Amino acid sequence: MLIVVTGGSGSGKSAYAEERICRLFKETEKRGELLYIATMFPYDQESFARIERHQKMRAGKGFRTVECYRDLASLEIPEGSCILLECMSNLVANEMFQENGAKENTVSQVITGVEHLLERAAHVCIVTNEIFSEELPYAGDTRRYQEYLGGVNCALGKRADQVVEVVYGIGIFQKGEQDEDFVEQF
Amino acid sequence: MEMIIGGAFQGKLEYARRQYPGREFLDGKECSLEMIKEADGVYDFQEWIRKEMKEELETGKSLRESKEQVQKKAQELIRENPDLIIISNEIGYGIVPLDAFDREFREATGRICTCLAENASRVIRVIMGIGTVIKGD
Repeated sequence: MLIVVTGGSGSGKSAYAEERICRLFKETEKRGELLYIATMFPYDQESFARIERHQKMRAGKGFRTVECYRDLASLEIPEGSCILLECMSNLVANEMFQENGAKENTVSQVITGVEHLLERAAHVCIVTNEIFSEELPYAGDTRRYQEYLGGVNCALGKRADQVVEVVYGIGIFQKGEQDEDFVEQF
Repeated sequence: MEMIIGGAFQGKLEYARRQYPGREFLDGKECSLEMIKEADGVYDFQEWIRKEMKEELETGKSLRESKEQVQKKAQELIRENPDLIIISNEIGYGIVPLDAFDREFREATGRICTCLAENASRVIRVIMGIGTVIKGD
């Protein structure tokens, strides 16, 4: 199953996504591995602080963390794993702007990578970001970034079994159906 | 506690006045914490967060400390004004701002509203003047 979790800044997406994938991992009776694919490339103090905050949130939940800044398709994925990928917005930025990144082929490269995860894994949960409700005054890198991340999100939306927008910790289903059991416990 | 959220200029305040006739709503950017503790409702709550963060910064605190301090203040509202109606703009749906204060303010608003929503009995999201209940009845 592919679950895509989206939302704005500070909306509680990560906590929601962690909870979902941990629950699925339990349901598969922990046959594979519980993997966390971290895509944020640490480049300044603020990004280290962000990474630390996420590490603390995940601590004790049994994730094995794999760092992957680009080229998802090259990752070795143990059969039957449950994967949480966070965050698509960073992966897309890395592919676009890092020296060996996919550049103008970012969208197709990222989607090929996601297909690779889905071939191997039992369940995949991808966290992405809503950065589109803003009109930019000029074209350029930022505009293109919105275009590419938007393209990736649309492709994920097609492929996903569930798309959940998290608004201040509340999960709103844009695709698929809410498991009543999960609502009560989350 | 109840929350009415949504983008700017979506008719949230008008919606609130229709839903809760007779209640008085204060302007967040002109309120102290103490005033909100006594209020029926508050609108532009994100502007209260911005103002409080700026005030904390002026006392010499770092951005992060200022953010945490305002988060603590907001939590007092849950305990001390459980009937409060909070109207706040959703501001986390654009490109990450270049300015460090803007980034922290944007995130603080998200974290604070997530915490308040967890404790709210009802959360309504308003788009084009139309409210959708996303939590509660």
